[in-house]
Amino acid sequence: MAYSTDMGVREIHEGIAAKEFSAREIAQANFEHIAKADEEVHAYLELTEEAAYAAADKVDAAVADGTFEKMGPLAGVPVAFKDNMNMEGTHTTCSSKMLENYVSPYTATCVSRLIEAGGLPLGKLNMDEFAFGSSTETSAFGPTKNPWDLSRVPGGSSGGSAAAAAAGMACITLGSDTGGSIRQPASFCGVVGVKPTYGMVSRYGVVAFGSSLDQVGPFTRSVEDAAYAMDALCGFDPHDCTSQHFTPHFVDALSEGVEGMKVGIVPSFMEDPGLTAEVKEKVYEAASKLEAAGAELVEVELPHADAAISAYYVLGPCEAFSNLARFDSVRYGYCDASHKDLNGRYEGSRAGGFGMEAKRRIMLGSYLLSSGVYEKYYYPAQQVRRLITQDYVQAYEKCDVILIPTSPRAAFQFGEIGDPVEMHLSDIYTVSINIAGNGGMSVPCGLGSESGLPIGVQLVSPQFKDVNMFRAAAALEAAYGAAPVAPAFKAGE
Amino acid sequence: MAERLTEKNVRDIATYAHIGLTDDELTQMTVDLNNIIATLEPITHFDLDGVEPTFHPIGGLHNVMREDVVEESFTQEQALANAPQQQDGSFLIPAILGGGDQ
Repeated sequence: MAYSTDMGVREIHEGIAAKEFSAREIAQANFEHIAKADEEVHAYLELTEEAAYAAADKVDAAVADGTFEKMGPLAGVPVAFKDNMNMEGTHTTCSSKMLENYVSPYTATCVSRLIEAGGLPLGKLNMDEFAFGSSTETSAFGPTKNPWDLSRVPGGSSGGSAAAAAAGMACITLGSDTGGSIRQPASFCGVVGVKPTYGMVSRYGVVAFGSSLDQVGPFTRSVEDAAYAMDALCGFDPHDCTSQHFTPHFVDALSEGVEGMKVGIVPSFMEDPGLTAEVKEKVYEAASKLEAAGAELVEVELPHADAAISAYYVLGPCEAFSNLARFDSVRYGYCDASHKDLNGRYEGSRAGGFGMEAKRRIMLGSYLLSSGVYEKYYYPAQQVRRLITQDYVQAYEKCDVILIPTSPRAAFQFGEIGDPVEMHLSDIYTVSINIAGNGGMSVPCGLGSESGLPIGVQLVSPQFKDVNMFRAAAALEAAYGAAPVAPAFKAGE
Repeated sequence: MAERLTEKNVRDIATYAHIGLTDDELTQMTVDLNNIIATLEPITHFDLDGVEPTFHPIGGLHNVMREDVVEESFTQEQALANAPQQQDGSFLIPAILGGGDQ
């Protein structure tokens, strides 16, 4: 069989092993597809053709000398990275004018793990500036479009990563998730998106946003491909002291099924007035599919979840304020050299380098950490964090995984949400998982009955039991089928 | 109800955060910050007596120290490669002690 950009990990592996196509042909086909498709989608900020062909040549050499099987399942698989991930010699812009000319002097662990596993690095993907946003509209380099409907946003902040996977412009892409930035765009673009438990994947080399919340994870078109990616990504990294010695076998877990598994449903989440009827319908439909596959449904409560969004918009900006203090126009980044005093240069450079949403979050964090205000918001938010975490611990006494919506609605149109507060509410079902540090993933469940757009549901696992959500995700995929490439971008269209 | 931030408050916050704002941006930022802060109010309504704060989502973590030995690191050239301005192998910034422009 000839290679097609719609293929998943297993098909690619078998095709290369059987010498039906070479890794070089895979790289070439992907760059040809990107050249056409990305004219419309704008997912990529930079292509790394040289690195991709160098990686492909290694794979092809292994095929020639009979050592291909030793390289593992990701050898020859096209991969791409959110542009907040350093890859030596590439621009790492965070979609910000601040880092427009920044060239990475080193490579992030998550990037090197996929490349060392034989992945073909295709390039760097668009995002909301510094990951602040839910639509990729805050990118300084123009928005990414949703491959299912180009008049709509792909979600965010990892919108480029979700759109690239959905349009067949890579098999595995990486994103980062601080409050929903992998799961919400996965839902909007109809692909699988995984935010692993905090500590599962190293963040070394990923530009920090909220250090107690950030986690890296994959986007793919199938649960199995996500499992292959997780098997390569997880594990301890001496460069990130939050990374843990957990190396579960995700691919192996997929065949375990959900017989006897307890799936928690949160009734209060389903009555939220902002939840659209079609998403609600999908969550209940997914629950019944899991039940049909042998799982048992139980009701659980997360009583403090309604405080999660306010806690998140306290904690996130405070951590961002602290992390983004490093952009001082001295060592790297945009510099307004017209000022003759250092403070003037700081102010001018940060004014010129950051976009409005970044400025809002930095200033909000600055305010919330100031004396008197800290006691009113930041400290209570950390106390609320404990209550939210305890809610999850108690809920998991009754169930193995929780099923909730990913986003209250399907993808919205460009410009439809202009108010920052309303935009922040896109994250209402995702932020509590970052606050509690659990694993969460969005799994596509077909198209919405009203919008006709992709809708995902969210599976949430206890900390470090991410295999639970993968088992449930595999059962959903068995019922709904793997995520298709968006119709307009299928190979050969 | 939270106290509303005035434009002067927001100018002070901007100065502390080292972000220059035009007058128009200041007006908009004041509106935006007040709107966002209003949504944070629920956090002040919980009975949190005796609840320990959680600064980190996973328990049992401790600082990790490596042996204090010199390891391979960036060369001076690599460290300076992204500097907006440099001179004689150092980062160049405006003078902060007087006695020259830079």
